[in-house]
Amino acid sequence: MAMSGRRLRLPPLRLVRAAWPWLAVLLAFAAVRLSKGAFVLDAYALLSRPFWPGTAQSEWLRSAQQFDRQTRLQQLEADNRRLRGLLDLDRAGVSLVSAPVISRQAQGWWQQLVVGQGSLQGVAPGDAVLGPGGLLGRVASATPSTATVLLLTDPASRVGVWVGRVQHHGLLVGVGTPRPVLRFIEQDVGVRPGDVVTTSPASTLLPPNLTVGVVQSVNERAVPAPEAVVQLAAPVDAVDWVQVRVQRP
Amino acid sequence: MSSLVRQRWTLATALLVPLLVLASPAPLQLAGVPPSWAVLWLLPWALVDGPLSGALAGLALALVLDGLHPGPLTQVPVLVVLGWWWGRLGRKAPPLERSFSLGLLALLGAALLGGSLWLQQLWWGEVNAAALHTLLAQTLLTGLLAPLVCSLQLLLWRQLAPGLRS
Repeated sequence: MAMSGRRLRLPPLRLVRAAWPWLAVLLAFAAVRLSKGAFVLDAYALLSRPFWPGTAQSEWLRSAQQFDRQTRLQQLEADNRRLRGLLDLDRAGVSLVSAPVISRQAQGWWQQLVVGQGSLQGVAPGDAVLGPGGLLGRVASATPSTATVLLLTDPASRVGVWVGRVQHHGLLVGVGTPRPVLRFIEQDVGVRPGDVVTTSPASTLLPPNLTVGVVQSVNERAVPAPEAVVQLAAPVDAVDWVQVRVQRP
Repeated sequence: MSSLVRQRWTLATALLVPLLVLASPAPLQLAGVPPSWAVLWLLPWALVDGPLSGALAGLALALVLDGLHPGPLTQVPVLVVLGWWWGRLGRKAPPLERSFSLGLLALLGAALLGGSLWLQQLWWGEVNAAALHTLLAQTLLTGLLAPLVCSLQLLLWRQLAPGLRS
């Protein structure tokens, strides 16, 4: 009988039968807790799917972001103009003249475009010519109704440019191929493929901060200074209309 | 000076050369390089009309073409020499009219013209990495087009100036 007092007392079977649903519920809650609410969230996602934000909402968001970027860009451009005016970097007002490409010689001994606007519209030698994507070249000569544009790829083309990431100036030299060469003055410039090449922020001959192209490869062993091959941003072969940046009198 | 020049409209056909240079039709390009239209026009003209007319036509054509391009490169010396040379060849018997001969002369002319432009670029310190490509493509294309284009022109000019060689 002494042994019977130490015997483990199991709960009565009736009690277990009555309590097991509550135990199951408790275990289920524990599982939800341990799984960080996996089943609950999944069930919520399943039930609320018809009410999820659709493409309209994402378009609104993109539109709002685009509007925000455009506004900031306009503000920055206005601020830039004001600062450049204070620094007296802009000699005079400029305007853009749209001109059709009426002759295109992108390969051969000359790389040039002839555009259908000339000195009657204010186009003059030296004016920058822009295409979709960035700078195309500069006006070499102008007749009353046409202008010849020397492309950046022409061997006679020399344009000062700027690599913003490394804060270095360089000379973009045409070599007759679709990709001109960027020559530096300093030895250790640290330019690498992917760097964006723009016109100089302090340039008075060309529009400042205008995209020219992207560095495609760098030759560190070039003498006397490194050289880089630049892929131009504006596709010359596909451009039908250009914009000539003319100086207002 | 000869009978071709006296018929003014024949000289006006030279205006096709700058027009074709400017239009630069894509189907008539090889690897993006057009043929030398000046060579294709000048060769039959000089062969029929003689060295003096050929040299003067080459000079006029080169001056017009130089005006179309920016930079210091000029086609004057080579086109004048080619006009003179082809004019002298045309005076010799038997007359040059075989397609192969015309193609070979045009090929040589285009090569000389391209070579002179390349040398001028080197002289002016311009690096042209595509010079050999341009030279070969233009020379080959000009040589291939010459038998067709120059033969037709030669036929036309000789019909217009039948007594020239007598």
